[in-house]
Amino acid sequence: MAQCVQSVHEFIQDSFVPMVAVLCSEDAEKVTRKNNLNFSELLRPFCRLTSEGHMRDPNNQVQVVKNLRISVNNVVTRPSVPASGTPSLAQRLLLSEVVSTCQPAEGGVANVITAGDYDLNISATTPWFEAYRETFLQSMPAADHEFLNHYLACLLVVSSSEAVPVEKFLKLSQEQHRIQHSGEYTNPKWFIPNTLKYYVLLHDMSQGDEHRADSVYEDMKQRYGAQGCYLLKVNSRTAAAGADEQIPDPWSQYLHKSSLQSQDHYEESASVLANNTAVENNVGGTPELDGHHSEERDGSLVNSLDSTHPLQLDTSGDTPGSLDALRAVAVETKAGTAAAAAASHGACLTLNDHDRIRQFIQEFTFRGLLPHIEKNIRQLNDQLVSRKGLSRSLFSATKKWFGGGKVPEKSIAELKNTSGLLYPPEAPELQIRKMADLCFLVQHYELAYSCYHTAKKDFLSDQAMLYAAGALEMAAVSAFLQGGAPRPYPAHYMDTAIQTYRDVCKNMHLAERCALLSAEILKSQAKFSDAATLLIKMTSEDCDLRSALLLEQAAHCFINMRNPMVRKFAFHMILAGHRFSKAGQKRHALRCYCQAMQVYKGKGWSLAEDHINFTIGRQSFTLRQPENAVSAFRHILTNESQQASSQQAAFLREYLYVYKNVTGVCDVALPQLPLPYINSSATRVYFGHERRLAEGEKQAATHVSLDQEFDRDLAAMWRDLEEQVVASANRGVVPATFQATQCCLNSQTDNLRFPLAVVEEPIIVEVVFRNPLKVPLVLSDVSLLWKFTLKDFSRPQDAAVGDALAFSNEKETLVPGVGARLKLLPHQTGQLNILGLVYNLASTPSTGGTTVSSSAALKSDVRGRQDLEIQGPRLNQTKEEKTSVSHGPDRRLDPTITPPMPLLEVFFLQFPTALLCGEIRKAYVEFCNVSGVPLCGLRVVSTHPDFFTFGSSSLATPLTPLSPTSFENCSAYKTLATPPGATPGSVAAVTLVSAGDFGLGEGGSGTSNGVAEIPLEDRVLKPGQSTQLPLWLRGPDHEGVHEINFLFYYESAVKGGKISHRVLRHTVFICASRSLCVRATACRSNTLPEEEAEEEDERRNGSMLVFVDVENINTNEAGVREFHIAQVSSSSKQWRLHRCINPAEDKDCKLNSRERGKLCFRATRCKPVQATSAAIEKYIFADLSLGNEQIISSTTPCADFFFRRLSRSQGAGPGGGAEDLTSLVRKCNEVDLDIIVLWKAFVVEDNKQVILEGQLHVALQTIGKEACSLTQKEEAQEMVLLKFKPELPPPMTRPSMEQLSHLIKTNLHYPESYRHPFIHKSLCLVPVTLTLSNCSLAQVDVIIDLRHKTTSPESLEVHGSFTWLGQTQYKLQLRAQEVMRVPLRACFLHAGVYNLGTPRVFAKLADQGAMCETSQQTATPALIIIINDT
Amino acid sequence: MAVCIAVIAKENYPLYIRSVPTQNELKFHYTVHTSLDVVEEKISAVGKAMADQRELYLGLLYPTEDYKVYGYVTNSKMFRKLHNSFTDVMCNPFYNPGDTIQSKAFDGMVSAMMVQAS
Repeated sequence: MAQCVQSVHEFIQDSFVPMVAVLCSEDAEKVTRKNNLNFSELLRPFCRLTSEGHMRDPNNQVQVVKNLRISVNNVVTRPSVPASGTPSLAQRLLLSEVVSTCQPAEGGVANVITAGDYDLNISATTPWFEAYRETFLQSMPAADHEFLNHYLACLLVVSSSEAVPVEKFLKLSQEQHRIQHSGEYTNPKWFIPNTLKYYVLLHDMSQGDEHRADSVYEDMKQRYGAQGCYLLKVNSRTAAAGADEQIPDPWSQYLHKSSLQSQDHYEESASVLANNTAVENNVGGTPELDGHHSEERDGSLVNSLDSTHPLQLDTSGDTPGSLDALRAVAVETKAGTAAAAAASHGACLTLNDHDRIRQFIQEFTFRGLLPHIEKNIRQLNDQLVSRKGLSRSLFSATKKWFGGGKVPEKSIAELKNTSGLLYPPEAPELQIRKMADLCFLVQHYELAYSCYHTAKKDFLSDQAMLYAAGALEMAAVSAFLQGGAPRPYPAHYMDTAIQTYRDVCKNMHLAERCALLSAEILKSQAKFSDAATLLIKMTSEDCDLRSALLLEQAAHCFINMRNPMVRKFAFHMILAGHRFSKAGQKRHALRCYCQAMQVYKGKGWSLAEDHINFTIGRQSFTLRQPENAVSAFRHILTNESQQASSQQAAFLREYLYVYKNVTGVCDVALPQLPLPYINSSATRVYFGHERRLAEGEKQAATHVSLDQEFDRDLAAMWRDLEEQVVASANRGVVPATFQATQCCLNSQTDNLRFPLAVVEEPIIVEVVFRNPLKVPLVLSDVSLLWKFTLKDFSRPQDAAVGDALAFSNEKETLVPGVGARLKLLPHQTGQLNILGLVYNLASTPSTGGTTVSSSAALKSDVRGRQDLEIQGPRLNQTKEEKTSVSHGPDRRLDPTITPPMPLLEVFFLQFPTALLCGEIRKAYVEFCNVSGVPLCGLRVVSTHPDFFTFGSSSLATPLTPLSPTSFENCSAYKTLATPPGATPGSVAAVTLVSAGDFGLGEGGSGTSNGVAEIPLEDRVLKPGQSTQLPLWLRGPDHEGVHEINFLFYYESAVKGGKISHRVLRHTVFICASRSLCVRATACRSNTLPEEEAEEEDERRNGSMLVFVDVENINTNEAGVREFHIAQVSSSSKQWRLHRCINPAEDKDCKLNSRERGKLCFRATRCKPVQATSAAIEKYIFADLSLGNEQIISSTTPCADFFFRRLSRSQGAGPGGGAEDLTSLVRKCNEVDLDIIVLWKAFVVEDNKQVILEGQLHVALQTIGKEACSLTQKEEAQEMVLLKFKPELPPPMTRPSMEQLSHLIKTNLHYPESYRHPFIHKSLCLVPVTLTLSNCSLAQVDVIIDLRHKTTSPESLEVHGSFTWLGQTQYKLQLRAQEVMRVPLRACFLHAGVYNLGTPRVFAKLADQGAMCETSQQTATPALIIIINDT
Repeated sequence: MAVCIAVIAKENYPLYIRSVPTQNELKFHYTVHTSLDVVEEKISAVGKAMADQRELYLGLLYPTEDYKVYGYVTNSKMFRKLHNSFTDVMCNPFYNPGDTIQSKAFDGMVSAMMVQAS
């Protein structure tokens, strides 16, 4: 229980005080009226006696009466309160008024209680409770079973201005007698039949004659005795004089209550109340003044929502009343209390007058009242003692025998009603009680206790339960009040009393009084737990106010325990708050909930927290504290709510409603809305127009769009590409200020710098919302909130700032996890800051059909804002940053608007999605400058540079049709019809082409990366201009889906802008399917060039055989019918295909599915190695057409792709420098010949035959080694084990035997058959020439050994032996590439077939002395036929 | 059978709370929260020295009008099951002590202990 101003003893003493009635003449009343008071009110502040009084008890012991208070009241004869147990309506109203006017002081007494980990701010005192208690006890009706509040004495007041005051006194005395004894009035009740009458002469100093008054007083003294009368002089000054003098006003604190207590007021307010109810009944409860009041009074008005349970959330959507209750802001029922406070009191009284009044009271009490009481106690005591003589048992026996006679007039029904006997007023049992009460009133608690105790026994034996309970109650109280505590406080007396009052007598009023007393006593004894239980027991459904107050006190008991029970405190506070709100005490309810909130807040009890927040919100709103209401409601909505969706919907509706009212009141700035959550870090910002993806058959560049997910790898790839293209635009150097263009910013991009946006190009902001609720939220009129600082970067003049930007609005219903895209279009340059969002928030009606009317009423959306604040990435560079948590800036939303830049749009026409491997397709690209600024420096870079070509810039390509429409069915290649007579594949046409013409070979880096300048006319694209360029594509060599990325780079023709360049991205996916597989092998030809190779050069350089295996590996049998090999071309710096020496005489090589064809060519070396450096750069293209038209392979599409492939494969070309042995040796086997196989595929597509063309490349590098068009996929790099040893440097490789054996090419020249007449001449001599040609570039020592016999045994058998004549061993030296012929002579003895290939040739490099010679490869068997010529 | 089972953290916030008549969830929450006072009282009454031997079963905490609130173990082994299951939850290396319990197994076990809602 909260601390009280009074101590327990004071409290109990003040609860039971001697009652004094006042009868006043009209004139006397007039005198007091001058002070705006009546007589009893005038006395009231002085009713407490400051001095001690004395009296003697029946045993003649002197008893000290300390600190006595008396209660003076006007005689009111009408029964104000029915004697039933339930308080009247008027009394209820009074109590509720008292409580509601007594509110905690603003910011006042709050003490902090620390319990465990709770720090609670709790109001230390509960003055409203004390006020309630005081008023309650004072308004207790006088009961028959006890005498404590019966009148003991009566003051008869007559004014001195009366003509005959004595007569008036007589009249008043008769009046009093009439009231007490005539039986007309049951009210007021009088203690003792012969009531003390005290005669008071009231003299008005300001107007009356003082002498006259004195004389009248003398008269009175004689008549009534000096102790029975008094002359009271008041009104020493006039009201006007008093105005300027400040005198303390002791009445003010009493007056309010007293005015309420006046009977008139009761009547008035009661009638108001009655009218009120009537009105409501008539109207049917539609315009409720106050939901809770009406609920309490008339449950049928509001269709009761079972809100009897204190913990139920009475918010569910199906109660229309709940919102109405909110809507109707509580009208405080202040029924006419304002009137009383008008005038000040005691205006005519001086401080002397105050003293006089005080003295009067003292005189009256000590001279009149106390002796009167003393006398009566003595009398009663005597009576009781005399009656004690009568045997008690006999007494009770007779009572049993004649029990019915005692209460003959009482009907059985009445007996039942009161659950016990009713004694007549003069019954002896009541005399004991009377004496006890008297003793109690004069603080003689010991005697009082024994009397109560005796009375209790009597009543109990009579089964007079009401009387017994009363006696028990008072016995307990007096036992407690006894000084020195001879006996412990009998708490069980109280419990029994309460129980009896409540259960047997059904008198809640008395029970409540008893409980209040008992609780206070228990509290004083630190039995908080018992007190709390007691108080909680007293709560009931019939009176909300009482229950609320008692629950609150119980809660205070819990918190005041030795181990504070915080949670019980909180729980009971909530219960109390609920009751308060039901009782219409909204402020108290709010206070209770707020106090309980301290316990529940932030501890994870979300349901409870929501409930409290909701209630606080509602109560705050009713009390016109909308800001508090909004914040409370916000708590419900921002928490991760665990409420059911219907509940959330209700919360949301209420929040919106309250919010709307708040904003309606003050619309200064848009307030922040809590819903929905904005995932601000997921905000994405996109600069630029939204792309049109396709326009007719045009296909726009994909660029970047907001729909794409951010991919870190992709971003890195684009960055690399951009770096490449920027480097190539800046002559191979990437500028230090280079920053990759970011069109779309998100949480993963680098947002440290202010992004650059271009004027007149939109900025699209995507905001990601999350709806934490289970109910949909409707957002509408979403727009961005921004700040713009005008800065002109180029021109000095500027325009108005106001319309610099324009909004675009979007409206959408929000499902959880959806974003909104908002667009800004800047019209001026400057600095833009996007601050937040403004939107309308509304909820959709949760259940469609049922709440049609209410949803129409609720169709309220509120407008509010939410700021976008993006926290940058956490810094983690320096040590300080690592140890502390600091975040970098994020400038995503602060773009700088720069002057206009060119804007390129790229469209692709006839761009395929699927290609055969190596297929050549022609497409068109349209470049379009859609800005107002000229564009230049257009470049493109790609991840697959060999996929496409724009054609060589130097070679004009007039033959290819420029417009795509005339392109139908036309070959992508440039062709020439072969002359009709020529046999296909006979002799190759030869062209010399410089690599530089195809954009290669300009510089090392230029060739290796994939940057290509786009051949624009004039190199500039003017504003609004568009141009179409042909584009050749070649299907990738590997089958599968290829992602090919293009990055178009362009600059503004006007230099010096903030943005150096812009880029446009494009991604295509090409599905490549298998076409042909080409394998090629080169073989050394053993024959020397034939005669027609007339030139010495050619003869020396020798020739080679090239075998080309072509296999159709296409698996799509339905689509591709057959492949034709149209042409085979070669490209090399040294070699060229010479002629087709295919044994089969096929005109055209056709390959059906899975077929394989073989082609054989002769290639010749066409250039000496030591040609001039300028000639080395030239590539020789040789075309061997197998069909009837020749494709000029040296022109655009074909050669372009050849060179693109070349540039890639020759990343690190053969380093010509180190002429060491190995390379020297290897060189002689090298052949640098590229074979280009051009094919045509006949494909059936949509029942139409389409001819597709393509080319495949095979690079022949080494003689005898097979090369394939499909470079074998590199075997997945095996996991390399970690090596801890440093790798040994590769050992000095010595050329292998195999390599060394190719140094010298040998050839035997001899006649195929030789006729010789052996008869004539037994020896046949045949001249044979051995040609040695040095393949290497070094000097070679050669040893020719002829002595050697053929080792093969069968050759011995088959052919007879022959011998070489002449020198059998030669030692020669061959210079580089030298050809030497050695004449030999073979001698045969018989006719027959001989193998001449017996000479063995050993070679070694001349300067490598240490090395031994290596046997050179023997040529194929050289057979000679010797015919015996007869 | 139980109508509401709650596991409360040392700092008195709910780790897990579940009740069967879902329409009156709030009331159970309030009841559980209030009973914490009694638990605290009972625990502190035993004293620090006896903390180890302390009986885990706190018995009837307090009766409300409709229900009785018990702390920890009853003779039906209901609470032992709960404890074992709770131990399992705590043993989960992915469970961060102090978080609300979201284990399915625990949930299932609790469901089995509850009155089957009609």
